[in-house]
Amino acid sequence: MFTHLLLFSIVAPLAAAAVISAGLPVRIAKVAAALGFALPALIALHAWYHFAESAQDHGYAFLAKYDTGLQSLGIKLTLGLNGIALPLFVLAGLVGLAAGLYAIQSNAERLKTYLVLLLVMQGGLMGVFASVDIFFFYFFHELALIPTFIMVGIWGGRDRSYAAMKMTIYLTLGAMLSLIGLIAIYYKSHVDSFDLITLREELLANGLKAGVQNNIFGLLMFGFGILVSLWPFHTWAPLGYGAAPSSAAMLHAGVLKKFGLYGLIQIALPLLPLGAAHWAWTLAVLAVVGNIMVIGFITIAQRDLKQLVGYSSVMHMGYAFLGIATFTAAGIGGVVIMMVAHGFSVALLFLLSTSIYHRTQTFDMTEMGGLAQKTPVLAAFFVTATMASIGLPGFANFWGELTIFVAAWKFSPLLTVLAISGVIISAVYGLRSAARVFFGQPTEAFAKVSAEKPPVDLVWSEKFPALILIVALLFIGFWPKSISTPLNSALGVIYPAPTAQLPADNAK
Amino acid sequence: MTPSCIALLTLLTPLASAAVIAIFLRKQGTLAQTVSVLAAAIVAVGALTLAFGGHRDAAVNVSFEWLKLGSFTFALGIKFDDLAALMLSVVGVVGLCVHVFSIGYMHDDGARARFFGGLSIFMFSMIGIVLADNLLMIFVFWELVGFSSYVLINHYHEKQSASDASKKAFIVNRVGDFGFLIGIVMCYWANGTVNLTELGAGHHVYSTLIPLLLFCGAVGKSAQLPLQVWLPDAMEGPTPVSALIHAATMVAAGIYMLCRINVLMVPNALTVIMWVGTLTAFYATLCAITQRDIKKVLAYSTLSQLGYMVAAFGLGSLEIPPDGKVGELVVLSAGVGAAMFHLTTHAFFKALLFLGSGSVIYGCHHEQDIFKMGGLAKKMPVTFITFTIGVLAICGLPFLSGFYSKDAILHLAQENNKPVFVILAVTAVLTAFYMVRMWNLVFRGEPRSHEAEHAHESGLSMTAPLFVLAVLAVIGGYAGHSFNIYGHAFEGVWSQIPFAEGVEPFVMSLAILVIGAGAAIFLYKPAATDALEDKSPALFGFLSVVKGSPDTAYDWYVAKVQQRFALVLEFIERIFLSGLIIRGCSGVVGLIGIGARALHVGSLHAYVYWFLFGTALLWAYAAGWLN
Repeated sequence: MFTHLLLFSIVAPLAAAAVISAGLPVRIAKVAAALGFALPALIALHAWYHFAESAQDHGYAFLAKYDTGLQSLGIKLTLGLNGIALPLFVLAGLVGLAAGLYAIQSNAERLKTYLVLLLVMQGGLMGVFASVDIFFFYFFHELALIPTFIMVGIWGGRDRSYAAMKMTIYLTLGAMLSLIGLIAIYYKSHVDSFDLITLREELLANGLKAGVQNNIFGLLMFGFGILVSLWPFHTWAPLGYGAAPSSAAMLHAGVLKKFGLYGLIQIALPLLPLGAAHWAWTLAVLAVVGNIMVIGFITIAQRDLKQLVGYSSVMHMGYAFLGIATFTAAGIGGVVIMMVAHGFSVALLFLLSTSIYHRTQTFDMTEMGGLAQKTPVLAAFFVTATMASIGLPGFANFWGELTIFVAAWKFSPLLTVLAISGVIISAVYGLRSAARVFFGQPTEAFAKVSAEKPPVDLVWSEKFPALILIVALLFIGFWPKSISTPLNSALGVIYPAPTAQLPADNAK
Repeated sequence: MTPSCIALLTLLTPLASAAVIAIFLRKQGTLAQTVSVLAAAIVAVGALTLAFGGHRDAAVNVSFEWLKLGSFTFALGIKFDDLAALMLSVVGVVGLCVHVFSIGYMHDDGARARFFGGLSIFMFSMIGIVLADNLLMIFVFWELVGFSSYVLINHYHEKQSASDASKKAFIVNRVGDFGFLIGIVMCYWANGTVNLTELGAGHHVYSTLIPLLLFCGAVGKSAQLPLQVWLPDAMEGPTPVSALIHAATMVAAGIYMLCRINVLMVPNALTVIMWVGTLTAFYATLCAITQRDIKKVLAYSTLSQLGYMVAAFGLGSLEIPPDGKVGELVVLSAGVGAAMFHLTTHAFFKALLFLGSGSVIYGCHHEQDIFKMGGLAKKMPVTFITFTIGVLAICGLPFLSGFYSKDAILHLAQENNKPVFVILAVTAVLTAFYMVRMWNLVFRGEPRSHEAEHAHESGLSMTAPLFVLAVLAVIGGYAGHSFNIYGHAFEGVWSQIPFAEGVEPFVMSLAILVIGAGAAIFLYKPAATDALEDKSPALFGFLSVVKGSPDTAYDWYVAKVQQRFALVLEFIERIFLSGLIIRGCSGVVGLIGIGARALHVGSLHAYVYWFLFGTALLWAYAAGWLN
């Protein structure tokens, strides 16, 4: 049983999806869906709790291999978790549970189809971070991506068909570029295997030529970059998230988007170190000037709450890219914590934005105001989410940002200073949105809405998913070692000392 | 209990209190209040036990590795020396007074639980700063006090002004923290450590930039020029919050932090710090003169006194003997001594004044305009007497606490820098002027409004803290060599205080008091209009402009610069990126994937089929069916 733990986490939601589409009554379908979301989350927590004591092979625990009939191409479904994958696997499980529960209680039309698609997405997400085989890593990403498009197209809000189209074009392009890059690695390595451990051992011993590395890394950087909304390829993100139904936005922005960063960290950087060094400056400048500063200011200009969250998520990816550009264990460790933290906080913000929408009937912040008087708990949750997202200590996000800043200084003091200016920018838009929605007096428009239908405070079906995310943010915020210890040992293997040299040769 | 345990208990009790209130007592105001006040009492007892129990350094210090990634390590630890002991005692005592006062002041508030939870989270954060043994840990708690300040300023949710003020406070503080964090990162790379003890044992004088960047943090938190704009607005919070956070402790954290890192200072940086402090002290005094709101007068007075402390710290190094480094060190410590001494006495008398003003406001049914008060001496005798003690202490009446600490700073200035001395002395005169103006308008004459006529003395929970603080405001300054009420507890700090000798300080202080207070009593007859405005509209107008222009500049920046820049960027984004690049990309897609656009975009379902088809094809190929 426990040897197939990871497989079970992928199969459970898919099985639930299959059962539901076989035509269950809605009430039973809801129970099945709840199980389909809860099992991966429990398995993820179990894996996290027992990670240290589990047998490990090349830093991977819970390793299991399955022949899927693609053996002749060097493809095997290999599942396992190393210290980098583990926190993201837990992220996928918990955000999936929160998004799933939020969807189950929502009054979405065609609820069963909606749940089926979310469950397929959840299966893909668990698979992405559990895969040690590059082919399946990519396959599961596609499996999770397709339901996203469909959900935006069917249940989306304003501009949904345009948003769905734009998202599809961008993300398909990004996925294609990265697929070409991944196949190029496979092809150039001559090991006839998509197995990441094999590839890593081979390429660490006999690295590819610099020119080849540069080209492949370029493909992966832009391919994965588009998927993570690297500036200026980000315009799909705010639009798509603005239109996406909330649970889909939670899962995509919170978890699936991390696929690109994860690919860079787990595959591209260790296999192509020379390529990474070649592109580091381009990546860092795009990230800092584009994602952090330009997008930061654009975020300030947003009036639509969901767009604001979408843009802020694009902005925060800038920190992650900067950390990757440092190519140090500290910088990349910071990125992983950042990814996890951002996943929880952005999912929480999307969830709460939708809850706000249900009470104000609009996402336009200029037509809100004074909501805190009616819904103090929602206000407290939203301020909590905002504080987490702008990097207040006590929440996970802080550790990611701090570590990235410290590591980035050795890479470029100038870029670090510009990146740190982001803490001011994010405080401006974060606090402004909280103030516009919740504090002061209601605007006329909102006074009218709340007179017709007095807003009620958060109900338990909204509170519970939100609390899962808040507890996760606080837990890592207060006890960062809970994920940094396995993470650090994995980084020690993949990013060994010479490239990962840190403090000061001039230390006392 | 071991001293380390007491220290950890002192730190964690308020956190536990905040957690309990947030989770269980959201709707039980009275219970929440009890929990929070008990936590504050435990903090006060713990602080005084540690401080006066003689436990220092090795007995208390602990350190835990909290995060390790690559070779970046973050540790949480305690450094407990005389400096920390002093600050902890101040926070503990003033904190307890304010908590008790709040029982009465917030009695009718609908959101008491949130208020007391906020106070607890503040106590936790503040004690974290005090005990921290490294710069990164200070930064963590630094941000957290900023957060609690935000929550508490914003206590009255329905007030737009409170919402604006809380936002402004947080953002302006972040501007300071921007520099602070860069300074910490630079310090980390320059020295390989940010541990205060290790830095003290030896560090690289890397550049003047590091201390100046670290000072940015203090500029934000202690509201020095040019980031002073947030503090007067922060008075939108409940008055006990103003007393605890925006007068006695949090805003003084900037000065405490400077004293913590005094080993990193270099002469040029100290010169800058000295002038920033001096100018803030003087500027804020000018602003205080025209205020009508009792809390705003006190707010500007706080700014001004914080300027004094910063100036005192900066004055520390100005006379460096050309030959040796020993002298430099001694003079620097003099700056620390004077700054911390004034911080302590100021915490007592300013908390007293703020709580006194709270009692006045509460008694006058939330009237805050001093021109609508008057005659309160008879109606609120306890408040009147204690408030008067506070006023006399801040004005520097000999034998009260403020006299000794202010005199130490003036003495240091006189020895080291004459222009600074002149400015600070003039500031002292003006301080006496505006404080007595306020006192005169509030307490003397006849009531000038309905509210003032029906004013009543506050209850015991409010007057008792006033009494305690009044006693401390009287005796808090006896820290000298001959007579020291603190015993040997803070010897490491007190021994550095540059006391002046002889009768000269008495003469000077009396002269300052007589000129300032005399002018105020002469000019301001109890009346409903501002006498200065009537007699010299030009001067009054000038002072109003001085006071108003930073706010105008701030508003102008936010509305005209920041917002417009953001809108322009957004416009460009919409036009160029959405318009051009997406077309470009669809073109690329078209090139790469044989009409991929049509395949993928025409219908989403087509995309699903292509995915399934591709997958099937791959399996078929792998299985050898295609060969």
